[in-house]
Amino acid sequence: MATETIELRGHIVDSLLLAKVLDAIVDAGVDYEITTFDLGRRAVDPSRAVIELDGDPEVVAGLVDDLQVHGANRLDAGTARLVAADRDGVLPAGFYSTTNLDTEVFVDGAWLAVENPEMDCGIVVAGGRARTVPVHRIRAGDPVVVGSDGVRVHAPPRRRGSSVFEFMNSDVSSEKPKALLVAHVADRIRAARERGGRILAVCGPAVVHTGGAPDLARLVDAGWVDVLFAGNGFATHDIESNVLGTSLGVSVAEGTPTEGGHSNHLRVINEVRRHGSIAAAVAAGYLGGGVMAACVRRGVPFVLGGSIRDDGPLPDVLTDTAAAADAMRAQVPGVAVALMLASTLHAIATGNCLPAGVETFCVDINQAVVTKLADRGSHQALGIVTDVGPFLGDLAEHLLGDR
Amino acid sequence: MAELGWGRRYLMCPPQHFGVLYEINPWMHREVAVVADRAAEQWHGLRAALEAAGAEVVTMDPHPEVPDLVFTANAGIVDRDRFVPSHFRHPQRQPETEIDAAWFATRGFTVARLPAEIRQEGAGDALPFTPKDGPTVLLAGYSFRSDATAATELSRLLDAVVRPVQLVDERLYHLDLTFCPLDERRAICAPSGWDAYGRKVVEALVPEPLWLTDEEALAFCANSVVVGTTVVMPSTPPRVGRQLEAWGFDVVESRVDEFLKAGGGCRCLTLALDVALS
Repeated sequence: MATETIELRGHIVDSLLLAKVLDAIVDAGVDYEITTFDLGRRAVDPSRAVIELDGDPEVVAGLVDDLQVHGANRLDAGTARLVAADRDGVLPAGFYSTTNLDTEVFVDGAWLAVENPEMDCGIVVAGGRARTVPVHRIRAGDPVVVGSDGVRVHAPPRRRGSSVFEFMNSDVSSEKPKALLVAHVADRIRAARERGGRILAVCGPAVVHTGGAPDLARLVDAGWVDVLFAGNGFATHDIESNVLGTSLGVSVAEGTPTEGGHSNHLRVINEVRRHGSIAAAVAAGYLGGGVMAACVRRGVPFVLGGSIRDDGPLPDVLTDTAAAADAMRAQVPGVAVALMLASTLHAIATGNCLPAGVETFCVDINQAVVTKLADRGSHQALGIVTDVGPFLGDLAEHLLGDR
Repeated sequence: MAELGWGRRYLMCPPQHFGVLYEINPWMHREVAVVADRAAEQWHGLRAALEAAGAEVVTMDPHPEVPDLVFTANAGIVDRDRFVPSHFRHPQRQPETEIDAAWFATRGFTVARLPAEIRQEGAGDALPFTPKDGPTVLLAGYSFRSDATAATELSRLLDAVVRPVQLVDERLYHLDLTFCPLDERRAICAPSGWDAYGRKVVEALVPEPLWLTDEEALAFCANSVVVGTTVVMPSTPPRVGRQLEAWGFDVVESRVDEFLKAGGGCRCLTLALDVALS
């Protein structure tokens, strides 16, 4: 539980500001106590209320930020308390657990912006810098922020006007016109690119199964994807479909199972392992087309994270999941738009390490994936419930204008 | 009908340098060019309408680097011989503050300043309403351009009753697009511009509001200027005109379409100089 104290001054009674602030506190599920209330004697006299808030730290932090808009100011945010980690890979007890929102810590008399917002980390303050650090990367002696004193969190600005988030003010889009949505996604990608932002694609195997891979490969070839995250399955089926024409043994062209097709993916994994890497398989001419080959040709970095049920896996797959997550983190800076394409686990893993400001479009035939991302705090995730194959075709048409 | 106690003397700024040179509200689009001759014609038309209604108009010199200086409603807040200059939210308009402060200082006004960190955009976000049996209330809009805390500071600086009202529609980004006091009982009101608390505050303050529909509000009906019993409006939907006339007002339409391109109507182009808050 966190305690914050806010102050509200002025003509807060007749303007219903006090009522509004108290309603907002109750709506947020936060307990409050009015510790001071001075009512102005005449209509022109200001009143003053001091309100103590008590609740879940993340909720209270967000609430205090929201209430600032109505003129409620936090009383003495305090100074961040730093405690040295006593061993590698362990945060000190009572550590401040981060959100993915822009965060600042008050140390040495000044607010210091936390450099790489990421949820579920600790904050290490050293050398005049504050940064998020996941627990496994903590080293003994790291000064870690403990408690919530001297920490403030900024809620993302509400998007207004003609942005796609305004257009889509419900979170999930199963009943929205898809053509319009795809056009908006394309606009956001273009706008991000104009600002110099990077585009991240997170891909699940269904991209290949539904026939979306050739369109995604064209987008990679045309430079619309700057970094790609996936697992063994996506990369394997992408390679299988280009080398053998099947995805999990099913003909991509005809949609029918092929003789002995069930082993096709193992055969391509085996051959790529023989070459040593996907890049080597491309260089040797074994793999010519598809998304992975396009990434290799364009020099688009990719991170393939492993899982316990992987066949093979492909030699490029990072089987140490902590190392895979670190490799993903290393690619996050500069990402402005993330496309989560029919991927549940990798989308959530990616959502975990993205700052809240990254515009995230989650395309999945299953509404649950989108909901799950939002539930985990990726508030910027906009869900598009549709078949990823046709979605990618439409997106490629918008961005490449050639179909 | 007891007329408003103010609104007979206005400050305006000729639109010599007016144009849409940047985009800081949803109405502004740089690709939509302002027709300078028509803007000048409309500005003079508004001035003539105010003078014909019995108002005195004084002008300030335009400056080439601040095109929005033409919207004098945002210069600041006048209370008798005191002037509180605006603190603009957008850097593009911030240079206007010292130009406005200097204009008022050289004319004998005491210039009272808000704390530097507080944003407040003048009469655009603060309009007085004086009910029959109560003190004058300065209704202050906040969220898009002005801070809620400005209300507290204004009440301290001016010793006035100030009621902040949250604006919630970005297209109605200033209070003066949602509220126009008519007399001691009535005001033109655009409820879609306020949150639920703001609506209650206005309902408690104004005995007979003229509620605008969304469409009427977006036609800038509330951005009108009242001179005695004359209401000078940028557009007059028949329903609104009939209601005002039934209440005994003369309605004068003064087209200011060129200024609507920058998100400003009749009220935005004027600043009442004869306001007394207490």
